[in-house]
Amino acid sequence: MTLNADYESPRRSEANATPKLDERIGHPMTLLPTYAPVFLIMAVAAALAGLFFILASVLGKKNPTPEKMIPFECGSESSGGNHVKLSVKFYLTAILFVVFDIETVFIYPWAVQFRSLGALGLASMGTFLAVIAVALVYIWKKGALEWET
Amino acid sequence: MPLALALSPFLVLGFGALLIMLAEAFGSRRGGMALGSTIVLFATGLTAAGLWMYGLENLKGLEAVAPWLLLDRFTLFFQMLLCLGSALAALTAGGYLPEHELDRGEFYALLLFATFGAMMVSASGDLLTLFLGLETMSLGAYAMTAFRKASPRATEGALKYFLLGSFAAAILLYGFALLYGATGHTDLAGISKVLRAGAVKDPMVVTSLVLILVGLVFKVSAVPFHAWTPDAYEGAPTPATTYMAVVVKAGAFAMMLRILLTAFGDAQSMSWSAGWPPVLAGIAVLTMTVANLVAGRQESVKRMLAYSSIAHAGYLLVGVVATMRAPQQAGASVLFYLLGYTVSTAGAFAALVLCGSRGRETVSYEDLAGIGRRHPAVALPLAFFALSLAGIPPTVGFFAKWFVFRAAVESGFYVLTIVAFLNSVLGAYYYIRVLVYMYMREPAVGAPVAVPMRSGYVVAAVILSAVMVIVLGVAPSDTLDVAVAAALSPG
Amino acid sequence: MTNALMTLFPPDAFTLVAVILGMPLLGALINGIWGKRLGNNAVRLMALTAIGVSFVAALLSFLALDTLSHARKDEHVRLVWTAWEWMTTSGKDSAPIGIDVRFSIDALSGVMMLVVTGVGFLIHLYATSYMEHDEGFARFFAYLNLFVFSMLVLILGDNLPLLFVGWEGVGLCSYLLIGFWYQKAENAAAGKKAFLANRIGDFGLICAMFLIAYYCGSLDWKGIADHASNLVSSHEAAQVHVWPLGGGQYTGVLSFLQPKSPFTITAATAVGLALLLGCTGKSAQIPLYVWLPDAMAGPTPVSALIHAATMVTAGIYLVCRMSFVFVLSPFVMTMVACIGAATALFAATIALVQNDIKKVLAYSTVSQLGFMFLGVGVGAFTAGFFHVFTHAFFKACLFLGAGSVIHAMHARIHDGDLSQDLRKMGGLRKYMPLTHWTFLGATAAIIGLPGTSGFFSKDEILFKAFINRSEYHPALKGTLERLHAFQPPTWLGPVLYGVGVAAATMTAFYMCRLYFRTFWGEFNGWKVGTPSEVAAQEHGEHGHKDHGNDHLQIVAGPAPKESPWPMTVPLVILAAFSVFAGFLNPGFHIFALPPMEHWLEPVFKDVMESGTIAVRAGGEHLEFPLAAGGVGAFLVGTSVAYWMYIAQKRKPADAIAAAFPRLHRLMLEKWRIDELYEATVLAAVDSLAETAAAFDQWIVDGILAKVSSAVVVALGAALRVLQNGVVHVYAAMMVVGLTSIGWFFVVPHPEAVVTETAGDYVIVAGPGMGYGYRWDADGNGRPDTETFSDQATVRVHLDLGKSQVVRLEVKNAFGFTAGREISLSRPKPEPTLELGSLGGQIAPMGRQNGGQN
Repeated sequence: MTLNADYESPRRSEANATPKLDERIGHPMTLLPTYAPVFLIMAVAAALAGLFFILASVLGKKNPTPEKMIPFECGSESSGGNHVKLSVKFYLTAILFVVFDIETVFIYPWAVQFRSLGALGLASMGTFLAVIAVALVYIWKKGALEWET
Repeated sequence: MPLALALSPFLVLGFGALLIMLAEAFGSRRGGMALGSTIVLFATGLTAAGLWMYGLENLKGLEAVAPWLLLDRFTLFFQMLLCLGSALAALTAGGYLPEHELDRGEFYALLLFATFGAMMVSASGDLLTLFLGLETMSLGAYAMTAFRKASPRATEGALKYFLLGSFAAAILLYGFALLYGATGHTDLAGISKVLRAGAVKDPMVVTSLVLILVGLVFKVSAVPFHAWTPDAYEGAPTPATTYMAVVVKAGAFAMMLRILLTAFGDAQSMSWSAGWPPVLAGIAVLTMTVANLVAGRQESVKRMLAYSSIAHAGYLLVGVVATMRAPQQAGASVLFYLLGYTVSTAGAFAALVLCGSRGRETVSYEDLAGIGRRHPAVALPLAFFALSLAGIPPTVGFFAKWFVFRAAVESGFYVLTIVAFLNSVLGAYYYIRVLVYMYMREPAVGAPVAVPMRSGYVVAAVILSAVMVIVLGVAPSDTLDVAVAAALSPG
Repeated sequence: MTNALMTLFPPDAFTLVAVILGMPLLGALINGIWGKRLGNNAVRLMALTAIGVSFVAALLSFLALDTLSHARKDEHVRLVWTAWEWMTTSGKDSAPIGIDVRFSIDALSGVMMLVVTGVGFLIHLYATSYMEHDEGFARFFAYLNLFVFSMLVLILGDNLPLLFVGWEGVGLCSYLLIGFWYQKAENAAAGKKAFLANRIGDFGLICAMFLIAYYCGSLDWKGIADHASNLVSSHEAAQVHVWPLGGGQYTGVLSFLQPKSPFTITAATAVGLALLLGCTGKSAQIPLYVWLPDAMAGPTPVSALIHAATMVTAGIYLVCRMSFVFVLSPFVMTMVACIGAATALFAATIALVQNDIKKVLAYSTVSQLGFMFLGVGVGAFTAGFFHVFTHAFFKACLFLGAGSVIHAMHARIHDGDLSQDLRKMGGLRKYMPLTHWTFLGATAAIIGLPGTSGFFSKDEILFKAFINRSEYHPALKGTLERLHAFQPPTWLGPVLYGVGVAAATMTAFYMCRLYFRTFWGEFNGWKVGTPSEVAAQEHGEHGHKDHGNDHLQIVAGPAPKESPWPMTVPLVILAAFSVFAGFLNPGFHIFALPPMEHWLEPVFKDVMESGTIAVRAGGEHLEFPLAAGGVGAFLVGTSVAYWMYIAQKRKPADAIAAAFPRLHRLMLEKWRIDELYEATVLAAVDSLAETAAAFDQWIVDGILAKVSSAVVVALGAALRVLQNGVVHVYAAMMVVGLTSIGWFFVVPHPEAVVTETAGDYVIVAGPGMGYGYRWDADGNGRPDTETFSDQATVRVHLDLGKSQVVRLEVKNAFGFTAGREISLSRPKPEPTLELGSLGGQIAPMGRQNGGQN
């Protein structure tokens, strides 16, 4: 990507500085030092979570009775299956929300760089919004936004 | 302005697709959708053809969109090819959907947008645009596969396609990510430059190649990444099957050629000892053999054609392997094969559609029994396309195979060619079986008898494909020259 | 007018060819697709228009060719039209060979084209009447038009592949038309027989095509002519190893098969023999002639057009076309001549005694084709081709005349075989005057009545057979003679002449026999009654539909009638040509037309001047003495026939038949060649088939089938498990694939290619992603360097008789290493095996050694 042409990853510049590629071939895990802290945090987090679970189950007192084992539902008898089917309309709305929400993700950086992107940027964003608008018109006309059908 | 001209195929198709979509939402009549889509697709293809004749070297300012979009002859060739395939699918849909009470206009909008994605795939010189195009194409195809909502088979096929496709897309994306990590570039030319400078020794690059290869061969549905194909092809409405078999496959091969030849076009990646060619050669052998063996055992013609499309992917892979030593010739042979495969396969599906009607769709060999006597006018085209797929002269199928095999032989891949040749002999068996059922069998007593449908759209698709099959089969030379001009050179 | 023609159609873009070719194709398409709907009148109009326009266009082309050849004196002029570029293939060393769909008209193809369209038009016209009441009228004309198209492609095609397309096309049409009345089993069988014999011939043509592409690097006429010299030279490269096959060596247990010196033939001989096989199939020569007599099962116009005038002469056309290849090999030329002479004689003996009018003509055709082969085989290409030309007229006329007779006989005798039986005819000259006179004219031509066309062409062939002799190209003569290469014996010329004269005598006899028995004497078909008798008879006969043949002789019928005008007009025109066309050749400058010989001269000029056709000393002066043979043959044959069948009323013939009953039977049964083939070739094939069937039953079905079905069941089960519709199994398959690909890249592949020149070994390691290499090139057992480097090539020098082991170690991107040992050894030179007198030694190069580590 030419936008990144001047960008060089730390590893890359390091490799350029030391052209002895053979040495690196000898150590396939050269990634490790760079990402070691990340891995360390992940390991610690996993270990802690695991530890709490184990400690809770080992140290906690258990005294099960039949009443304690029934599913708790605000004190009343539970009824129906435990998998509640939601209306597909919720999904539809959620998906549409995501689609139009993502739009803003594009608009923000554009707005920040508005001056440097200039007329071409304005035109691009205009086209983008126009296409989105057409999509909105389409779903509106198709009735996807109507809750009661 | 030259840039707008260079992008005009995209613009025409994009605006056309939006228009078709709105027309579907606001219009009351459905009849014109297929015609409208076909016109949009032909307009796009003709725009590309016009650009081809005008000459891209006369256009300035193309570098403004490079390297995201590469507007070269390879792109133009695929734009024409993809539009042709889509147009044939749209025409087939124009007859099929009303006949089988599936006439909802979204189909055409999906088809056009997916084609837009496929065109983007063939034009992209950057991993990001490539992936965007790929997903645009795939999502459309997923939705079209599931178009027959009431049918459990269709839902099942579409879901499998979607799940495995997402899986493959994830693998591909993972490969892209590693490649970016190792080289610092997402544009193919930049990646190639860094690899040639020595980064090819990075284990991350090798890993990324493995992952990318998996993603690529999934999209062309090669063994062992093919399992979704028969289920999806069978469940989908036939025009959608046409679309998957023709356009998606062509798009996938465009992607494969772009990535492998441009990014991994250096001597070490293209090595016969330990590069991508031996991997693809192995997959090609496996694909051809398994697909041809299994195809012979199918009872459903649609499933047989699905396996046939897998087998053809195998032959095409032979051509891709040969680009290692003769990029121009082998690349051109792959492009020509894709064209021949497009018209033969789309024609075969259209003819199959024509053989059946509502409630009496022809799906199995048994359904076709005796149709050659009862309805010779619809049996003849199906027989003709079957012969072309089998590679029998004077159809285009013969020359397509001839060019690919010749490129392979001249690159020294004798064993591979022999395997491919034996497989094409094996393949003739199940294509000829179609003819045997149509002309030499009678339907079993009491079995439902297929009644051909009537549709100008489907007939138009059949005639268009038949003309191209015969013209390309008798005079392939000019088209081959076009393919040679369009072929990519590595690096 | 010619100027306008030349401007409109320049010689290098002669688009008029498209009309010549396109019209018959159009006719075939329209009649084939819509024929039934259009009705007979439209079909007739379409068919006649198609061929008629094609003929007019052919005439115009011929005119243009004439103008052009006047303008460029003594040059081999062509009118060329390239329709499109067809494909490219490659020959030796991957040199590209372009094959275009290109058509060319030169003197040779021009004459042939005129014959095909002209005679074709007349026969079409004839057939419109002959086939009038046939159910398959439209189908018949579709096939016939398609035939003309294919024949024109064959003639006008400018390269071998295109000729082959036409060659196959005419074969297909012939097959379809022989079996036109496919309801009768024997017709279908005859079609099949023709198909098989032609396939054998086609195999030869295909082989020739491959050899020519390999040796000449070109497939169009001009290219082959230019590179024909590659086909014969004293170098190894132009030799085809016949034994050991392909020039290999038999070693080990097979070493007893290794001859002292390999048996080689020149490429020209190989090509010539392969082409000859193709020609014998298409032109019905020994040993593949058996299909042609049976092919008479088709409608008579088909016999006239395809199996007499045009298609069967395609073999001679090909020999003329490729004359520059044939003359390079005296052996092949001698074979052509001998096959021709043998066929001419052999077929004539069979024709002597046949009783079926079409069978006599069929064997006569085979015999005449033999004459043509004899002509081209002795290097008399012009004479041979001129016989093609004249034969087209008189044989077409004879067949159509026979058709006219059969048509008349058919009025009362509905059995196909009986209506063609000579014994049922006789005295027809009273009833069918036009048919009689035209038949007489054509007969005069075929038996060589001095002054008719057949006389000139046959005479020329016999003369050339006597005086000509094939020789090696002067440049190679010395070399090849030293090697005791084949030379035609000196007595061959007189023997060929003698055989030719004998065959010509027989021709005169059997044709006169045919003529006398058909048109002279008493009518034997049925009792010819007076009109009032006939009317009464008709009334009575209404009761039974069955025209029993036995009582037909008793029942009186109307007199046989002359055929309608569409049948007689072609007869008259063809007869006129049969009688007078002979003046075209020998240079009687009666007409303004240049004589045929001069016409064709430029085509064969290079061949004739190449020095491969030698003329016996003083041979030029023998033309008139040798003509005596031909005239004598005519006189003897005719007078014997007249004496036997007219003067003595068949008594001598019956007496001879009675005196030699077994010989007569044998000849009547066509020397039992069909039976011989059945007993040998077919029996061999049958026993092979039976063996195969037994093998199939016991081994394949019994053992292999069980094993393989078990395997297939197992495979099927395995595949069913995999293709079970469960999506995570699919995903698992993908993971397996992913892992395998990954495995391929993780494991290093140490591969190397070794090349050697004079003890210097260059070892190149195969590249791979991220590969580093470490070598042990000095053979001390330790790596030469400590680290892995990019050095992928090492050079090692070995002295004679030394050997060494080089070790290559590879390390891939993941740090895994692997190695392999490459053992090099340079043996001391062994005494080289002499590969025969022309042999060279193929140096071993690029041998790859290697062992696993």
